[in-house]
Amino acid sequence: MTKKLTKGNYAIAQAAINAGCDGYFGYPVTPQNEIGEYMSKKMPKLKRAYISAESEIGAINMVLGACSTGKKAMTSSSSMAIALMQEALCYIAADELPAVLVSVMRAGPALGYIYPAQGDYNQAVTGGGNGDYRIIVLAPSTVQECIDLTYKSFYLAQKYRNPVTLLADGLLGQMMEPVEFKDYPYPEIPNDDWALTGAKNREPRAIYSLEAKEEVLEKRVNLLFEKYKVIEENEQDFEEYLTQDAELIVTCFGSLARNVKSAVNECRKQGLKVGMLRPITLYPFPVYKIQELAKKTKKILVIEMNMGQMVRDVQLAVNGKVPVKFFGKAVGKWIEVETICEKIKKEIGNG
Amino acid sequence: MQTETRNENLIFKIPKSLKEGTKFPFCPGCDHGVAVRLVAEILDEFNLREKTIAVSSIGCSVMLYDWVNTDCVEAPHGRALAAATGVKRTNTDKCVFTYQGDGDFASIGLAESMHAALRGENITAICINNTTYGMTGGQAGPTTIMGQVTTTSPTGRNKEYYGYPIKIAEQIALCEGTAFAARGSLDTVLNIRKTKELIKKAFEVQLQGLGFGFVEILSSCPTNWRMTPQESHERIRKELFSVYPLGVYKE
Ligand SMILES: Cc1ncc(C[n+]2csc(CCOP(=O)(O)OP(=O)(O)O)c2C)c(N)n1
Ligand code: SF4
Repeated sequence: MTKKLTKGNYAIAQAAINAGCDGYFGYPVTPQNEIGEYMSKKMPKLKRAYISAESEIGAINMVLGACSTGKKAMTSSSSMAIALMQEALCYIAADELPAVLVSVMRAGPALGYIYPAQGDYNQAVTGGGNGDYRIIVLAPSTVQECIDLTYKSFYLAQKYRNPVTLLADGLLGQMMEPVEFKDYPYPEIPNDDWALTGAKNREPRAIYSLEAKEEVLEKRVNLLFEKYKVIEENEQDFEEYLTQDAELIVTCFGSLARNVKSAVNECRKQGLKVGMLRPITLYPFPVYKIQELAKKTKKILVIEMNMGQMVRDVQLAVNGKVPVKFFGKAVGKWIEVETICEKIKKEIGNG
Repeated sequence: MQTETRNENLIFKIPKSLKEGTKFPFCPGCDHGVAVRLVAEILDEFNLREKTIAVSSIGCSVMLYDWVNTDCVEAPHGRALAAATGVKRTNTDKCVFTYQGDGDFASIGLAESMHAALRGENITAICINNTTYGMTGGQAGPTTIMGQVTTTSPTGRNKEYYGYPIKIAEQIALCEGTAFAARGSLDTVLNIRKTKELIKKAFEVQLQGLGFGFVEILSSCPTNWRMTPQESHERIRKELFSVYPLGVYKE
């Protein structure tokens, strides 16, 4: 298959179409507008749903409605606009609906600016809805991964009947890389035992989160957490790079991993034993891998384009076995290879 | 003497589109139950039960799915028409309706409601106007009339603190995507019958693909109005008809 030079946002949009997305509902916000623009061109031609929603609240609730009927539906947005979607996302999680949300991070807090950043790790992973619920989060680091992980987002959403967030950033959304569009590689998951399709030849179905009986509500939450346990056991995904003999492991996520990898290569040339671990699933967080590495390595350095968000999950996984250091900044020039090399040398030098 | 009740002799039956043995949890004298029943009767008349997906809202009617004998999805407070849009646009062959309170429809959800009308969604929306937020205990809402005493307008609604109420049916009628907008009442048998006709039309326009079908229904809330059911219907006639005139606003 030939490779095509493609912008990250377009790659995500086309991948969603290939994955069989039946409905796209969105509201503009930079740096992800190309997704909605692309969908507005393509979806009507395919006789699929496209709506310019009145707001992100409207968009995510349209996704809720569409998903309740077993259709594959998505929205895409960014940062402060994703903040508006938290209530409905929580309903979607409680209702166990297979929604896909693409979050292309910009710099915050609040309006901030359209500079790329990684400050929405907490927003994506811990969420802003109420009560106990989880959302699966996948973080691509290349445009090719934007495609592959969009496919996976639709698959995991169906497989676990759970919302999935594809967490990209403005850099990935705007950059062009040669990519290959393979076909959607996953099986279709049957939904005829729960989807709302009209009560023909069967009892009516209802999808709701209200539960007035406390024992039933407790049971429902427990069932959700049984599902989350299965997800945590089966779906932890990561990229491991030169960790075998590494005395220092740099941990990072998303597009920043590109610079970290270059820095690791650079340091290896100079004889430093350094490797990289990149969580691909931010939830479920790859705790098993990190625990295993914490037994072998001497130190972990977490680098993020934020003031320290994923670092807490790394600390929880490492559980004090080895020191966990952090370097990050909230916004501005992507942390450069030279800067990362310096940090690596400093941490190795410090023992 | 015991008489046998035979099905064919019944002249008043529970509609098929209501679940058997449905017991509405509404307060005594509340009009919500009448409105839900009317919707179910229309679903029966058009034989829509098996192809309907209802969207419930947050308010006293939140458990709509326990009463209507159709598939149903619960929307977050105010978002019923966004959720219904998602349902309808990905299932154009289905009949989709929302059943909402006035707080849900016209306060927290005004944007979702009005934009569904502006887009001309082929959806039917029923909005119960009881001039208050019923479920949360009768606070001042978007339809609370001037002078009305509620738990958050203890000296009555005045323009200085609360501004003015919204005339929902009139506003929805102004939207170009609206195919039918009307206001009915449930205070008398005659008005119940008329309201049923309005609901019928609001479903008809959906079935014909003409656009948004809307009925606002003036409805009693004896509990929060601190009135008997009779007094409540009296109030609808005396105080509400002049502010919220009954009729068809767009056809
Ligand atoms: C986001 C959100 N805010 C507030 C509430 C609390 N709440 C539940 S029902 C309701 C008002 C319902 O009033 P209305 O829509 O007029 O329906 P009614 O109960 O009168 O039938 C409110 C404010 C909520 N559930 N969700
Ligand atoms: S509070 Fe009012 S609207 Fe709600 S059920 Fe009671 S009477 Fe009806």
